[in-house]
Amino acid sequence: MMKRISAIAIATFAAGGIANAEPPPESQRNFVSCPIVRDTATVPCWLSEYEGELYYLGIQTDVSADFDPPFLGHRVLVEGTVSDRPRICGGIVLDPVVIAPILDFDASCNTILPAEDRYTVPFAPRPPGPSGGRLAFQRDPAPEEVLVPPYEPREYLLHYDFDMLIMGRHAPILGDVLDYATKIGASRIEVVGSSGATLLSDGSVMAEDTSIALERANEIAEILKSGGLGELAFAAAAATGQEEPDGVEDWRSRRAVIRVMP
Amino acid sequence: MLLGCTASSVLGQTQAEDQWWAPGSGLPMPAAARYPNPYGELGILNTAGDYPTEGHAFFEPIGSNGRACVTCHQPASAMGLSTALIQQRWRASNGNDPLFAAIDGRNCPHLPANDPEAHSLLLERGLIRIFLPWPPRDPGGNAIEPEFTIEVVRDPTGCNTHPEYGLESTEPTISVYRRPRMAANLKYVTAADFGVTPFSIKDSRPASRDPETGRLVNMNMLADAREPTLRTQAISAALTHLETGGAPSDAQLAEIIDFEMQIYAAQAQHVGAGNLEEPGGPPALGPHAMLEGETGVLGNNTTRYVFPMGDAWTSLERSGDAEADAQNEFRESVQRGHDVFFFRTFWISDSMHINNIGLGNPIKRTCSTCHGMHMTGMDTANGFVDVGSTNLPWATENEQNPWTEKKPEMPLFRLSCDNAHAPHPFFGRVIYSQDPGRALITGRCNDIGSIVMQQFRGIASRAPYLTNGSAKNLRELIDFYDRRYNIRYSEQEKIDLENFLSTL
Ligand code: HEC
Ligand code: HEC
Repeated sequence: MMKRISAIAIATFAAGGIANAEPPPESQRNFVSCPIVRDTATVPCWLSEYEGELYYLGIQTDVSADFDPPFLGHRVLVEGTVSDRPRICGGIVLDPVVIAPILDFDASCNTILPAEDRYTVPFAPRPPGPSGGRLAFQRDPAPEEVLVPPYEPREYLLHYDFDMLIMGRHAPILGDVLDYATKIGASRIEVVGSSGATLLSDGSVMAEDTSIALERANEIAEILKSGGLGELAFAAAAATGQEEPDGVEDWRSRRAVIRVMP
Repeated sequence: MLLGCTASSVLGQTQAEDQWWAPGSGLPMPAAARYPNPYGELGILNTAGDYPTEGHAFFEPIGSNGRACVTCHQPASAMGLSTALIQQRWRASNGNDPLFAAIDGRNCPHLPANDPEAHSLLLERGLIRIFLPWPPRDPGGNAIEPEFTIEVVRDPTGCNTHPEYGLESTEPTISVYRRPRMAANLKYVTAADFGVTPFSIKDSRPASRDPETGRLVNMNMLADAREPTLRTQAISAALTHLETGGAPSDAQLAEIIDFEMQIYAAQAQHVGAGNLEEPGGPPALGPHAMLEGETGVLGNNTTRYVFPMGDAWTSLERSGDAEADAQNEFRESVQRGHDVFFFRTFWISDSMHINNIGLGNPIKRTCSTCHGMHMTGMDTANGFVDVGSTNLPWATENEQNPWTEKKPEMPLFRLSCDNAHAPHPFFGRVIYSQDPGRALITGRCNDIGSIVMQQFRGIASRAPYLTNGSAKNLRELIDFYDRRYNIRYSEQEKIDLENFLSTL
């Protein structure tokens, strides 16, 4: 599904944009490489190597974290910014960083490094076994919202891993959509899916097949219909074109927007 | 020296003769009862007190084949069914008990009656044939378009290729073979007060709902969560296992559900650990703990625990009295076994619906990562996970070589996933499975081999284990995990873990 094209070729599909042959800013590290897991005395940390340098991506915590660790057995797309924090687990800290496992298998991505005293994780909110009773990043529940007419349309944003359709981490957002649509007695739901492209540090562009835009929208509509909103009118569409990547947070282009209309 | 032998090696006693509860026997179900098992005694509590079963829909043969619900949900087997009890029944009835009915008590209905070969899966592994339409249907009865095709690679029972019962028949059907699950402690199994969200946090698919109330359910029943409520489950159990021809009446269904919700079962007495219900003893143990325990509590934490043990058995005095000291030694082993379950980390890898839900592959965690529900060790909600019990390369099967007469026992399917969806992240597009589990209901590639976790209670009374009965005893279950995740338990850890599980 994935297409790799040179940055020059991007003009042919970027929606009315100007071709961006510039590589990403110096501070960016956008690359595809094997993930590496390093054990520690507490939780494992996740690393990846690019051009002979080791980068730190994040640690294992739990489902409440923003960082979802990658998969051994698959390369990983890393989109990160080099931070000035001290190295962690031997790696230069990328922060912020967004990662996405590549769908194709790569059996060579199988490195588990043993724990070494010199590598410790400075922050482990969730031990490797049972928790202390709280999730690593537990958010206090939002106060019950009092909704009064006239109701406003609301937008909900979903971001995707590369080439992926719906994922478990989208469940709370879909739950919010269902909740709001039910409470206001929504009339209609519009879903717009986008395909994304990322400018890699080597100057090439990694683009999703544009057909995934409509697939994302259709899939969300189907799930919402069978998940309790079957009576509503739905419109699912693909966004026009694909955003031109500039190497900074290009992952935002892999998305879908759900609009709940009163 | 290895501290504490396992209880089964000490006693090795078998199920006491004639524990069989025959349908329509009209015996009263006592308020409290004990049933021997190889590790001691199971305790069953019935909150309705001494309870008449005459005319009762759970106990009467309400269908056409002489079976009742109790046929496969036997008090002596912790409301499940052990192979020890099945074999005893075979001998006592010369294979004529309704348990061995053609419909699903035989490897396939076309096979000859009274032939142990034709009932081998039930006799050897405690398996009942579960037959499901293929392709699956949604709750509205419409065919779901599956993401994969199914080919039958091996068909030792003859059922999946049979012209009348198989995948090519006029009503295409797939047969898989599963262990009965406990019809007890069901307040935990059906609790919808934690982790139940309208869209599953495992894959964002809509959760099932109670067809009558529209309320969300937790999808923790049956190996594939195909039935949302005890009511729909009882109807389908009656239609299939009991061959009732039509749904039981509302009154019968109410009677069945009331009964199921009033039964609690857990090990009560242990050959090594003694009385499991002693005042001040571990709070998780014994049937009273099950009765009083709180439902819908996430236990994978050090505030609530999955199986709270307190500190009663952590470090016990020795008095010089050999018997008392042996018991204390055993109790300490049980406590250590708990800690193996709860705190011993290993790399969990390639397990669908755990490794792909934001935790990474692999994750360094413990048994209680998957088995996190307080008091039962089930998952909290949407409890289906691929732990490898039915999917190759982990599923167990007789090896093939020129020097063995043994034949493969289980059906084997090759499932080929289409190109329209992302491949399975750990197995790709072609997966071999003995029982595709949840995928037979959803048609989804990612669900192939995902099986709902069942409760750990009364486990000493209902060997063999795992949905396909592939672990003959607790040691085989532990060895399965040791292989599956390359845990490398020490012999002592295995002994302690077995001792712990046998007290539940
Ligand atoms: C022929 C044996 C048999 C008979 C008779 C039978 N069951 Fe079962 N029962 C099973 C099997 C096998 C399973 C597990 C099926 C699966 O995992 O798909 C099961 C599962 C269950 C469960 C789910 C427990 C859990 O935790 O998942 C309940 C509840 C149950 N049966 C109730 C009943 C009732 C009520 C009846 C009578 C109407 C009945 N059964 C009759 C074999 C039987
Ligand atoms: C990746 C998730 C996962 C992990 C980790 C895990 N299990 Fe399981 N466990 C399952 C699933 C899924 C099942 C149901 C499989 C089946 O029935 O075939 C299960 C079933 C069981 C059963 C039920 C057996 C029965 O038939 O009643 C026991 C006991 C058990 N596991 C013990 C353990 C122990 C001990 C560990 C730690 C060594 C462990 N599990 C680790 C997922 C897991």
